[in-house]
Amino acid sequence: MHNILSLLVFFPALAGVLGFVVRKDSIRAYGIAVTAIEFILSLWLWFNFDTTNGGMQFVEFLPLIPQYGINYYLGVDGISLFLVLLSTFITLVGLISLTIKKNLKNLIISLLFLEMTLVGVFVALDAVLFYIFWELSLVPMLYIIGYWGGDLRIYASIKFFLYTFAGSMIMFVGMLYVAYMYYTATGTISFAITDWHRLILPYDTQIWLFLAFFIGFAIKIPMFPFHTWLPYAHGQAPTIGSVILAAVLLKMGTYGFIRFSLPIFPDASIAMITPIAILSLIMIIYTAMVAYAQEDMKQVIAYSSISHMGVIVIGTFAMNVEGIAGSIFLMISHGIVSGALFMLVGNIYDRRHTKLMKEFGGLASVMPKYATIFGIMLMAAVGLPLTIGFVGEFLSLLGFYKVNPWLTFLAGSSIILGAAYMLRLYKKSFFGPLTNEKNKNLKDLNAKELTSLIPLVLVAIWLGVYPKPVLKPINKSVTNLLQLMEKKSITKEAKDLLKENRVKLEAK
Amino acid sequence: MEKYLYLALFSPLVGSLFASLFGAKPKKLFVGLVASTLLFVSLFSSIYLLCYVASSDNIIHVKLFDWIKVGGINIPFGFIVDPVSVIMMVTVTTVSAFVHVYSLGYMKHDEGFNRFFSYLSAFVFSMMVLVMSDNFAGLFIGWEGVGLCSWLLIGFWYKKEDVAREINPSISPSWAANEAFIMNRIADLGMLIGLFLIYWNTGSLQYDKVFENISTLNITIVTLIGIFLFIGAMGKSAQFPFHTWLADAMEGPTPVSALIHAATMVTAGVFLIIRSYPLYSQIPDVGFFIATLGAFVAVFAASMALVNQDLKRIIAYSTLSQLGYMFVAAGLGAYWIALFHLMTHAFFKSLLFLGAGNVMHAMDDELNIFKMGGLRKTMKWTAIMMIIGSLALAGIYPFAGFFSKDKILAVAFDSNHYILWFMLWVGAGMTAFYSFRLIMLVFFGDERYKKYGFHPHEAYWYMLLAMAPLAILAIIAGFFEESFEHFVTYLLPEYHFNIEGIKEVGLIGITTLIALSGIVFAIYKYSKGGFNPKWKENFLYKLLLNQYYIPIIYEKCITKPYAKLSKIAWKEFDVRIIDATVDFIAKIIYISGFKGRVVQSGNLSKMLGWMVIGLVILLLLVVLYSPVR
Repeated sequence: MHNILSLLVFFPALAGVLGFVVRKDSIRAYGIAVTAIEFILSLWLWFNFDTTNGGMQFVEFLPLIPQYGINYYLGVDGISLFLVLLSTFITLVGLISLTIKKNLKNLIISLLFLEMTLVGVFVALDAVLFYIFWELSLVPMLYIIGYWGGDLRIYASIKFFLYTFAGSMIMFVGMLYVAYMYYTATGTISFAITDWHRLILPYDTQIWLFLAFFIGFAIKIPMFPFHTWLPYAHGQAPTIGSVILAAVLLKMGTYGFIRFSLPIFPDASIAMITPIAILSLIMIIYTAMVAYAQEDMKQVIAYSSISHMGVIVIGTFAMNVEGIAGSIFLMISHGIVSGALFMLVGNIYDRRHTKLMKEFGGLASVMPKYATIFGIMLMAAVGLPLTIGFVGEFLSLLGFYKVNPWLTFLAGSSIILGAAYMLRLYKKSFFGPLTNEKNKNLKDLNAKELTSLIPLVLVAIWLGVYPKPVLKPINKSVTNLLQLMEKKSITKEAKDLLKENRVKLEAK
Repeated sequence: MEKYLYLALFSPLVGSLFASLFGAKPKKLFVGLVASTLLFVSLFSSIYLLCYVASSDNIIHVKLFDWIKVGGINIPFGFIVDPVSVIMMVTVTTVSAFVHVYSLGYMKHDEGFNRFFSYLSAFVFSMMVLVMSDNFAGLFIGWEGVGLCSWLLIGFWYKKEDVAREINPSISPSWAANEAFIMNRIADLGMLIGLFLIYWNTGSLQYDKVFENISTLNITIVTLIGIFLFIGAMGKSAQFPFHTWLADAMEGPTPVSALIHAATMVTAGVFLIIRSYPLYSQIPDVGFFIATLGAFVAVFAASMALVNQDLKRIIAYSTLSQLGYMFVAAGLGAYWIALFHLMTHAFFKSLLFLGAGNVMHAMDDELNIFKMGGLRKTMKWTAIMMIIGSLALAGIYPFAGFFSKDKILAVAFDSNHYILWFMLWVGAGMTAFYSFRLIMLVFFGDERYKKYGFHPHEAYWYMLLAMAPLAILAIIAGFFEESFEHFVTYLLPEYHFNIEGIKEVGLIGITTLIALSGIVFAIYKYSKGGFNPKWKENFLYKLLLNQYYIPIIYEKCITKPYAKLSKIAWKEFDVRIIDATVDFIAKIIYISGFKGRVVQSGNLSKMLGWMVIGLVILLLLVVLYSPVR
């Protein structure tokens, strides 16, 4: 199966096209079957992944427009492998949990197309291909929010689309310029990211290009102050939209930093550590505060996503194996945890058609299973050891500590503020007496909901207790990445930082 | 031997998982029985390991599998049984096992019976991980694990609603649970920073590697590590200013207070200092700070216990105060004495709490000791055991507290810290007074409860039976002092006293004297009907009763402003400034397009007009910027 990546990318899309002829009442089973096969394929990818190899694997190459260096070029390494798995896993679980009846067929087909773009983004090694998938992902999402969303859905979806699109345009200009720089350096144009990794750019150029890419990534992540589209998108999106948005779409931005910014502009990235860390710090603390003030359960989770993404960014800019590997792990864990939390909010919304915390209270006594799963995911979200949330958060902060202890100390407040808003939510919704009449006869989670949630719970605990299967491939690829950065960095500051930024082994 | 290590460690986990299977089901007695049996398995394994370590001087060290291994960091799930951890294991499992049995009776009529045992056993497992881990990260797993279980158990009766602080100072179980969790998290951040410092300076989190390298490090770094680890310890052990959660934690069921908030979890901070003795013995200045804070808390907490009317809160403050004593010993380098007091305290304090639980049962969960009185007639055994516990707490010969507490005072005096000694000495007097004030008000004097219509009764026989071993230990544990010292100083440094002979005897005499006078004063005062009610108008009384107004200050200065600021951040800043800016930019683009639309009207004469304007502009540009001029 040396075309496994193409298969992974296009199988859901083809299945989506075929979906148009599937009968309405069997579309759900069809969708689940397709995403299950896709997930199994991605598992196959994982089992056949060579963990001792930090480079690109399962590479596929097909010239598209060779004159311009644009090719069909796919590959996967330890950094992207688990993001692919996350995409297929979350899509499958999200589909199982679907409760929308209205125009289900179109929704499922949109989701299958979305899955293609998600997998595509993470396996594309050609910048143009990457960009195509990156932008295409907006289309199904626009449709999902705009059609199945809440009252303000049109405003929210347009805002989401235009805002992120504007950012990506700037990024695209940056890409064209990198290709041009490659041309001036070598005489041939190439959009292959692996080629770009070998390109050494002058410092000033790096800074400008870094900023161009930064705009694109920062809006996607979303980093403060570009984050305001997210609360609207989450507020209006149907559950499935929020799940995929928070779990996978946002990770495209942080993935971009690791795939593009760090290796292509190492000196600029290192020069930008402090400004970016300060932005992340604002994200962490400020959005955690905003989350604390929310009245709507879903908005708490939405803002908490931004706060956690701040920790991911900080880990990425730690510029050492601990931090970057931690941030990649945190992308996975945040995907699992935020996905589960949005699904849980969806469960209660399906029952009560409200997400306001003041409508609830005492839910633990009528819905014990629901309260238990929510509790487990809450603890994973606040980063309790032996849950998936701890490993990434710990490593990210640990890594960044080497770079800047003070900023890490402030960023560490995420463990306090995170506990504050999550426990407030839990207390308001689940504890206390059951006062609202409407909640007295709520049904606990049904089989369908449990089928979608229990896998997430199991993963959250499994990878919390034994994260090694994930960390090992990540470790290898991140080590390679840092070696590359050290080799090609040109400024003294960057060289010094990369050399010093690890535990001195001779001390042992 | 490893088999016993795993048995000791994992039996509680099995019990917890087993009980959790029945979590939402109606009460099943066998769930509690299974969990308790497994706890005894753990207890006997721990005792076996203790005998093994004591007789062979061997240390058992096992590695299960790697947990986090990335970059330079390598954290395994490793467990170690050495004199320090095995003493902790035995202490923890002893108290836990008896508390489990006691809970069979205490929680008999509670609908959450199965859930309770699941949480309680999970707590024991976390605590075992905490004390048995061979590295700081493993300790942190247990550290957070016990925090989680504490949150679950404080908030066990989650259905109760929030009430005003005047009615119940803890507001509600779920409020108290959240307070405890968040307060501990604040301290945990300090601990995390300590771990980061350790990792980046020694390249490992394993105890042996870290302590091996600690002497090669810069003293400033070691000091910083010591400070940050101690911040973590302050949270778990509820030292000032993180102390408020402990008293509020009394909202949990009383067996929980006995196990978690008296005997085991709150001593984790002391354990951390003892475990890291190679680090702390390098930095006596930090040690002195720890001791000073400890002595302050010893008096500060005891003073609040003097006037409180809540049965459980009095004992909680007393716990706080005793933790202060332990920190004095640990801070002054007398690690084995700290550990010894930790152990004896675990026995008599859990005994006191379980006794309080019996009283609460008898009084339909009434906690105000002024509504009790004369209970010795109906609750003879409880009264006897609580008096034993109180005598041990007050430090009267031959009870356990005498041996351990006197040693701490001796250490303070011996190391020339006379002020600390004096504070502890005063604290000892206060301890004796409030303990016997409680005993007098609950068990002696008029039977005031009759006025309120209570019908007290003695607890079930097996609850009393579960308390009996603790009572025996509270009496005899002190006599193990020498063998204890011999055993743990195999690992921990010895403490050499300079004072001897007459001075030593004199010191013991003075301490016993103040303790006895405290007791006698309490008995005298409360057998005569207590203090004049006018005292209640006194400022000092109000200050103490309101816990120095600290919870209110926290609310007014931290919680409320934070909530307010959050609201502003959201409604004013996020919505009105950031988002409005984004919308404003979008609007400008939209409006400019809308206004610019008039150009494309399709009217031929207007189009021609625009064309002329365009032409003129182009010509002007050509003239102005022409390269050939």
